[in-house]
Amino acid sequence: MSTSDDDRIAYLSGEPVDSLTPQERAELDEVRGLLTTPATWEEPDSALEDRIVSAIAEEARRGRPVESAPPAPAAPEAPKSGREPWLRRLFRRPAIAFGGLAAAAAAIAVAIVLAAGSSSQAPLQFAMVVSGTSLAPGAHGSATLTKMSSGWEIQLSATGLPHLSGGRYYQAWLKNPAGILVPVGTFNDAQRVILWSGAPVTQFRSFSVTEQLANGNPVSSGRRVLVGIAHPVH
Amino acid sequence: MQDRDLRARFREGDPDAVREVYRSHGQLVFAVAYKVLGDRGLAEEATQQAFVKAWRAAQSFDEQRELGPWLAAISRRVAIDLYRREAVRAADPLESAAAGDSALASSPESAEAMYDVWEVREAVAQLPPEEQDIVRLQHLDGFTHAQIAERLGVAIGTVKSRSFRAHKRLAAMLGHLRE
Repeated sequence: MSTSDDDRIAYLSGEPVDSLTPQERAELDEVRGLLTTPATWEEPDSALEDRIVSAIAEEARRGRPVESAPPAPAAPEAPKSGREPWLRRLFRRPAIAFGGLAAAAAAIAVAIVLAAGSSSQAPLQFAMVVSGTSLAPGAHGSATLTKMSSGWEIQLSATGLPHLSGGRYYQAWLKNPAGILVPVGTFNDAQRVILWSGAPVTQFRSFSVTEQLANGNPVSSGRRVLVGIAHPVH
Repeated sequence: MQDRDLRARFREGDPDAVREVYRSHGQLVFAVAYKVLGDRGLAEEATQQAFVKAWRAAQSFDEQRELGPWLAAISRRVAIDLYRREAVRAADPLESAAAGDSALASSPESAEAMYDVWEVREAVAQLPPEEQDIVRLQHLDGFTHAQIAERLGVAIGTVKSRSFRAHKRLAAMLGHLRE
């Protein structure tokens, strides 16, 4: 029995729900964990802004001591044992844009189940809907992921992402439940892209695209613009 | 991509630009610091130090980079330094800290983990106030619907419907939080 959106909302709000898969439960537990952490709720004193402006103004009056820019954030590490699995997309229908909300809600990955032949020689294939994040709310598309002898071919077709150039580009990633990221290709335009993964999609089913800068730093910028979950095609 | 003029003015120490950067990224910097330090006062101190450090280093900041990840990295480093200072002051050796303590350099939070806290904060901030209250009372304070209804002086049915709407909005907004 597939989990309904209402089941997932109910579980997120703390109600007991039996229909969730262990992975869904773990992913929603992660969001619940973030909702219980004080860091999510604590606010700095309203006077902090003035204190910061004053502190910097004082530094400027005294002459700025020069410090080198700190290095880029550290690469995502292989998670320690016991790290929570990632949260997948929750819904199976496009998100409703709630009126009054500044950031558009991400659209929802939908499992695509295609009728396929019963040939035992049919290639192993996954598919997914990809949706824009709050950084790219208008983006959407789909992708198929097919097992080939040389790896997994990912055919991505998405609209709503601007063409990047001038040292900026898109990077696609696959990620497994343990949080290990594998890069699967870079591109400038998402309308028609073929990517490749040497990591098995059967284990690395979380897909994302980030905006990157060609500055020698290969790690994920964290600026996710497109996300999706690969589901097997039956 | 952030306004380059804003970043240039921040580099020059323009007070208005400092305020703009604080208003756009202050919550992120504070959330990162609080996640490390677990103390509001210390997190505020770390936030202030982080902005001052960022300003000092701003002349060498690559304008093509995004401010958010850079500020978050500075905040995390400042918070860890502050944690160590406080640990020494309290005669509380680092060795006595829990192995999973996020402040310890041996188990640093990743940039994505820091961003996740911020994204949840941003999502919660976009809820209507009455729904924010419900979510906070439920998750942070651990109250049941019945207890919340009593605290707020509303019917339990109202609490349940607000809770459902709030979590539906959150789930939609945070659907991209993890894949």
